[in-house]
Amino acid sequence: MIATMRYEFHMQLRSRAMWVVYALVFTVYVAVDRSFFTLYLGRGVEGEPKTAMLALGTMVGALMPVAYGCMVADRLVRDTRLGVAGVLDTTPTGQGSRLIGKYLGVCAATAAPIALVFFGRAIVFAVAEGEPTALGWASTTFLLTITPGLIFIGALTLTGPLLISPMIFRVLFVVYWFWGNLIYPAMMPTISGSIFDATGGYMEFGLLSPERDPNVIPYGPYPGAALNFLRPVASPTVAFLWLGTMLALAVAVLALARLHLARKAT
Amino acid sequence: MKPLALWSHELRRAGPAALLAAPILATLTSLFAVFSTELGTRDGVTEWFLLGAVEMGIPLVAGMAAASLLGQDRALELQLTFPRRYRGTVLRRLTVAFGAVAGSSLICSAVLLAAGWRNLSPDYPASLTGQLTWLAPTLWLAALGLFAAAVLRSTAGATTVVAFVWGLQQLTTAILQENHVTRLLYLFDTTRGTVPEDWLWNRFTLLATALPLLAVAWYLLGDTEWVKGGGSE
Amino acid sequence: MRIELTDLTKTYKGNVHALRGLNLDIPTGMYGLLGSNGAGKTTLMRILVGLIKPTSGTVRIGGHDIASGEGKLAVQRTLGYLPQNLGVYPDLTARRFLDYIALLKGLDSRTERRRRINELLEVVALTEEADRKLKGFSGGMVQRVGIAQALLTDPRLLVVDEPTTGLDPEERIRFRNLLSQLAGDRTVLLSTHIVDDVAQTCRSLAVLAKGRLVFHGDVGALVSRAAHQVWTVTTSGPAPTWGRVVSALPEGTGVRYRVIAASPPDPTARPTDPGLEDGYLALMESDRLTHPV
Repeated sequence: MIATMRYEFHMQLRSRAMWVVYALVFTVYVAVDRSFFTLYLGRGVEGEPKTAMLALGTMVGALMPVAYGCMVADRLVRDTRLGVAGVLDTTPTGQGSRLIGKYLGVCAATAAPIALVFFGRAIVFAVAEGEPTALGWASTTFLLTITPGLIFIGALTLTGPLLISPMIFRVLFVVYWFWGNLIYPAMMPTISGSIFDATGGYMEFGLLSPERDPNVIPYGPYPGAALNFLRPVASPTVAFLWLGTMLALAVAVLALARLHLARKAT
Repeated sequence: MKPLALWSHELRRAGPAALLAAPILATLTSLFAVFSTELGTRDGVTEWFLLGAVEMGIPLVAGMAAASLLGQDRALELQLTFPRRYRGTVLRRLTVAFGAVAGSSLICSAVLLAAGWRNLSPDYPASLTGQLTWLAPTLWLAALGLFAAAVLRSTAGATTVVAFVWGLQQLTTAILQENHVTRLLYLFDTTRGTVPEDWLWNRFTLLATALPLLAVAWYLLGDTEWVKGGGSE
Repeated sequence: MRIELTDLTKTYKGNVHALRGLNLDIPTGMYGLLGSNGAGKTTLMRILVGLIKPTSGTVRIGGHDIASGEGKLAVQRTLGYLPQNLGVYPDLTARRFLDYIALLKGLDSRTERRRRINELLEVVALTEEADRKLKGFSGGMVQRVGIAQALLTDPRLLVVDEPTTGLDPEERIRFRNLLSQLAGDRTVLLSTHIVDDVAQTCRSLAVLAKGRLVFHGDVGALVSRAAHQVWTVTTSGPAPTWGRVVSALPEGTGVRYRVIAASPPDPTARPTDPGLEDGYLALMESDRLTHPV
């Protein structure tokens, strides 16, 4: 498993297309949304590294996962397409270990450019403001708000194309990302803003930044939205529930993929 | 004019994903629209859904299909040695995929017109000119997909570019609508635009800017060594 | 169809020299191109079929300079190519695949296409399997489909790159016999690293090593490169250390070694007649000495 992970990690990291695409999409992103260049990243709370880093997390975590998911989406099925799946099946490494190794390696490498952008901007903030604590908040934000979502969608996008064509899967994934994570919940029945939302709102407002303006409604149920039972009021417990949900979903998806692969092999 | 048999082969080579995605999306959205009253959905939402499928969903399918065209040909090396240029093959497959998309969009548009839902957005043309609602973003995203595939020679990379641009436009609507230039390049001007007077200009700008993307893709696809040099991913 | 290569060079990114100033004249008929893996054979094939452009030098095929668009097109119109890794569409039957390729090659007439495909299926002995999907075909059968597609337009030049790699012995023999039959008044350029394939099919050949042409001429001339240098040694002791051991065959309690060496590798060594493989190895050995890495 470790060998597979290292191999996949290096293979994906060496992919020129991945870096070019990330550079391209990130350039377009910051060219359109200039708040990336403002000192406090559009939130305007001066001298508050935590708020700035959370804002950075929201910014990076909103759209970069679309690129991440699309890049991961064919890494598993390409083994079959390139005709190496049969060869790999004859190696002593079990199918399950290979799946986990590939998942960890591919996802870590594909997330690397996102981390680079995130921590690069955090370093700029820390140096410009003379606030080394910003780096601590950056690490916490990345680990607790962005990474759990990436863990889940990494599993989803790696294994999804086992069932449908990668092209269709990518379309569905993009639609899912907007419908399930970014859309305003009162607009239509959606899991956006719910415990299944992968963007980390519960972690931000439940654990890292619970002190909200009392005049603003607490993060959780949206007035007029359907499925509000999936949107408990944010609290540290709910934040950890969200974290557990993301991890459990990732494990469930990988387990189903493992079963599917095993059935296909027999 | 190529023989019909060649087109029937290209239908198959374009793949079921490229051919069926748009019709399935159109059928599901149309069914939702037809039964929306029974489901208790408000008229505005139904119209928005159907119009959204036409202006956002189907163009996304077209863009992704175009971005995936180059990476899936197993007999690429062989075809690059034929006197008929490979880009002709790509163009035929793109035409086939675009045909499926166009047919689906027309059906959705017809449903919108027949149900009188376009009356809910009276500032935008409905019938013939109204077809630019889907035609402009579809062509633009397909051109972007083909351009990205030709430049990057990577299906994963090209589809990511299409998905990202689509997503970025969704997420930054307010920012893009503030500026006259970015407003003209906004893909979803019918459903989410804020200046109806700019609509026709927006549609023509999209069509006009799709052309250089197609031209670059066309040029690169004519370079055998460039096409051959790219792996599927 | 004559092929003339003049000072042909191909350098890939990273200063990788795949071909270094090749000068070669290939006549009509069956012609072998031998070389170890990485010798530059596939690069040469790809230049000849118009897949890649040379860095410098000229290629004239049947009088056409392939550097010009018109020349390349003229050559491609009369070319049949079987690449090293033939990609086929597994969802198509052999007949449908050939039909599609025929259309792409410009055989627009349905009747003509049908006639030609049936004829070629017969030639490659696949008539029975013509309506089976390609995903169920063995490696040898796919290669035969490959040769059928290469012959669709009755080409004057047939370029086949490592066609027998991975085939079982029976398929290999069948395939190379087929190639020999096809030569006739065509130029068939067979690139391979399997010496026996050339020995059994070609009268003339060229040998590439590290992008350089190290030999061209007839098969006999290459065989003679090993004249008076091939020995057999039968011993129950250790293998001879002088010279290059080509084969080791257990015999009784000992082993019979076939050795290439300028002088007897052992006092008991007996001279024997060289074969093409011996000639090739002797050539490679002398090239290694004159052009060390």
